[in-house]
Amino acid sequence: MSSSPTSSAAAEVTMPQMGVSVAEGTIVEWRKRPGDWVERDETIVEISTDKVETEVPAPATGRVTEVLVEVGQTVDVGTLLAVIDTAARPGEAHADELPETGVTAEPPETGVAAEPPETAPAGAPPTSPVVRRIASEHGVDLSTVTGSGRRGRVTKRDVLAHIEAGHDGDEPVLHSESPYREPEPQPAAAPHGAELSVMRRRIGEHMVRSLQTAAHCTTIVEADMSAVEAGRGRLSYLPFVARATITALREHPALNATLEGDRLTTHEEVHLGVAVALGDDGLIVPVVRNAHELSHEGLATRITDLAERARARELSPDEVGGGTFTITNPGRYGALLATPIINQPQVAILDLEAVVRRPVAVGGDSIGIRPMTYLCMSWDHRALDGVLAARFLGSVRRNLEEWRG
Amino acid sequence: MPEATYLQAISDGLREEMRHDETVFCLGEDIGAFGGAFKVTDGFIEEFGTQRVWDTPLAEAAIIGTAVGAAVEGLRPVCEMQFADFIACGFDQLVNVAAKMHYRQGLAVPMTVRLPSGGGFSGGPFHSQNPEAWFLQAPGLKVVAPSTPADAKGLLAAAIQDPNPVVYLEHKHLYRRAKGEVPEGRYEIPLGKARLAREGADLTVIAYGAMVPLALEATDDLEGARIEVLDLRSLVPLDRDAVLASVRKTSKVVVRHEATRSCGVGAEVAALIAEEAFEDLDGPVVRVSAPDVPIPFSPPLERAVLPQVDDVKEACRELLAY
Repeated sequence: MSSSPTSSAAAEVTMPQMGVSVAEGTIVEWRKRPGDWVERDETIVEISTDKVETEVPAPATGRVTEVLVEVGQTVDVGTLLAVIDTAARPGEAHADELPETGVTAEPPETGVAAEPPETAPAGAPPTSPVVRRIASEHGVDLSTVTGSGRRGRVTKRDVLAHIEAGHDGDEPVLHSESPYREPEPQPAAAPHGAELSVMRRRIGEHMVRSLQTAAHCTTIVEADMSAVEAGRGRLSYLPFVARATITALREHPALNATLEGDRLTTHEEVHLGVAVALGDDGLIVPVVRNAHELSHEGLATRITDLAERARARELSPDEVGGGTFTITNPGRYGALLATPIINQPQVAILDLEAVVRRPVAVGGDSIGIRPMTYLCMSWDHRALDGVLAARFLGSVRRNLEEWRG
Repeated sequence: MPEATYLQAISDGLREEMRHDETVFCLGEDIGAFGGAFKVTDGFIEEFGTQRVWDTPLAEAAIIGTAVGAAVEGLRPVCEMQFADFIACGFDQLVNVAAKMHYRQGLAVPMTVRLPSGGGFSGGPFHSQNPEAWFLQAPGLKVVAPSTPADAKGLLAAAIQDPNPVVYLEHKHLYRRAKGEVPEGRYEIPLGKARLAREGADLTVIAYGAMVPLALEATDDLEGARIEVLDLRSLVPLDRDAVLASVRKTSKVVVRHEATRSCGVGAEVAALIAEEAFEDLDGPVVRVSAPDVPIPFSPPLERAVLPQVDDVKEACRELLAY
C-alpha cells in the first residue's frame, strides 16, 4: 500500500503502484465521499490501470475530508487522491453512517462500476462448488439457468442440461468469449447513449493500436478433434489446444516472439495469454507463466484459476502482462471462423472456434462423422511469412490429431 | 460356487488358513470345546486340537497380549473377542503394544483380532457397539469390515496373512442373514480396496459392514434415481481413490454407518471429500448414523437409535432434491 499516515491527524490516500510496469491509474468510482466515515482497509476508491481494475483500501480509520481526483481522471502513481482525518470521531451523523435502512442524504450513485454478482439473481440460494466450476469452465452465466433444486438452487444437473440445450446434439461448449463479438444490444439504453466504460475504452485503444501497427494476415487450418474428444473427459478443448500450441511454439520459436519497433525478440519460455470474458463488460488476457512446463491438466487448472480470479477482479497487473502468445476461444456461440487482432507486441494470436461434428473424408474413399474445428491464426507479416504460419498451424493440428492422453 | 452364510464364510476362511498355514492358531473365550459364542469355531478343536485352538480365561488383555508375543515370535494368531465391546479390556495391548511394535522395535505383528460387532438384537450397551472408530486413531492397525460372505472369507485370509495387526469387524446381524456365493478354497480380498456394490450416477451412498445391504435395499427403487453404493470393506487403509472417483461422478454423497456419529468413519470420509473433492460437490456431505448415545436395551428405543432403511431413503431424497 502506497498510502501512509502523514501526521497523527491525517492520512493520505495516493495512487498505488500496481505492478512494476504501471505508471498511472484512472479513478473508476469513489466508494467514500467527503464526510464519510471509513474503516482501515475498507475500500475507499476503485481504480483502473492499463492492466486491471482494483480496489484501494483506506490506510487508516477516520473521516474522509477531501477527495482530490474526480472519476474518470487519470493520474500518475503516487498522486494524492484523498485525505482522511484520523482524529475525527464516529457518530456525528453523516448520512452514510446510518444503518442501511436509514434515509440517505443523496441518492446512491450508480452506473460507473458496480459489478452485478456473477452467480444467480438476488434471493436465489448459493450455488455449489461443482456448479460454479462447470459454469466457469463453460462460460455460463448462472443467472440465466433455471434451478430445480431447493428454493430454486441451480444444481449440477441443471447447469449440464443448460449447456447441452444451448447447442445442437453433440456440439461441445467452449470456454470463454470473444473479444471481437458485437456488444449485446442494451435493453433500455438511454436515448442519448452512454459513455464507454474505462475498460471498453482501454480495449478499444489496444485493438486500434494493434491494427495500425501490425500487418495482420489470417491463416486457417482444419483439425480433426477425435483423439482429443476421446481423451478429454470433462475438460474443455481449450487446455488441449493450449498444450498442442505450446508444443508447436517450441518447434517454431519465431511465433513465440514479440516485435517492438524494429526489434524482434524470440522467447524460449512460453508465457501463454488466454482471453477471458468479464461478462458484458469486456475481457482481459491473463497470462499462464512458463506454460511450457505444464501438462494439459496443469494448464486447465491454471486457466480456470486465472479466469475465476479475473472475473472476481482479483488479478494482479503482473498476471496480465508479459505474454508471448495468445489464445482466444469464442466458440461458445457456434461461430466457425474469426480473424482475431494480435495482442501487441506479440506476433500472432490463435483463435479456437466451435468444434462441430461434420462429415469428412477419412481413410481413402470413406466418409466419417468427425468432430472438426477451424484453427484461425492472425499473424504479423512484419515478423514472419505465410509459409511459417502454415507450418506452425500444421504442427498444432498434428499435435491435436495425434493426441495421446 | 456354493452358497454360504456370512458366518459360514468366516468359519471356512479361518479353517482354510489354519489348514494352509501351520503358524495360524486361534484363541479366545469359549472358542474351543463350546465352538465360540456364535459357533464360528464350531468343530475346530476336533480338527486342529487344543494346541491350535485355545480356550482362554475371561481376560482380553491376556488374549491380545499373548497374541502379540506369539506374533512377534513368528506365529499368526487370530483372537476372538466374544463381543466387540469387550476389546476395551485389551485396548492397551492392542493400540500401544501391537500397533506400535513395528515403529518402536521394527518387529512385525501379524495378528488378527475378530470383533463380533453391532446391534439390533436388544443386547444393550455392552453387547451392541461398533467400536471401529477407536482404531482409526491408532496408527499401526489396519481395520476391515466386510459386508458379504465372499468378502468376509477373502478379507479374513488377507488379514491373517498381513504382517500388521488387523482389526476384523464381523457384524452379528449379518451372521445368518447375509447369504451369498463364496468361492471354494483359499483366496484373498486385498486390504484397502473398496467395492462398487452398485453403479449409479445421481448420488453415492458410502457404507460398510451391515450398512451395505441396508443401503442397497433402501436405494433399490428411489423414484428412479440411480444411486451408487460404495462398500468400503477396509476402513484402514481407506480406499481414497474409490471414494473420490465416486464423488467426482455423482457430486452428492451420503455416508452411513451404524456406529455413533462424532469423529466416526463418516466424519473422516466427509473430511476427505471436503479436502480433495470440494469442487466436485453439488450438495453437503450427509451422514446417517447412530446418534452419540449408548445402545438401549428396549427394542423400540434401539430401533430409534440405529439407522433404519427409511432413514437412508429420507436422507437420499433430501440430498437428491437439494
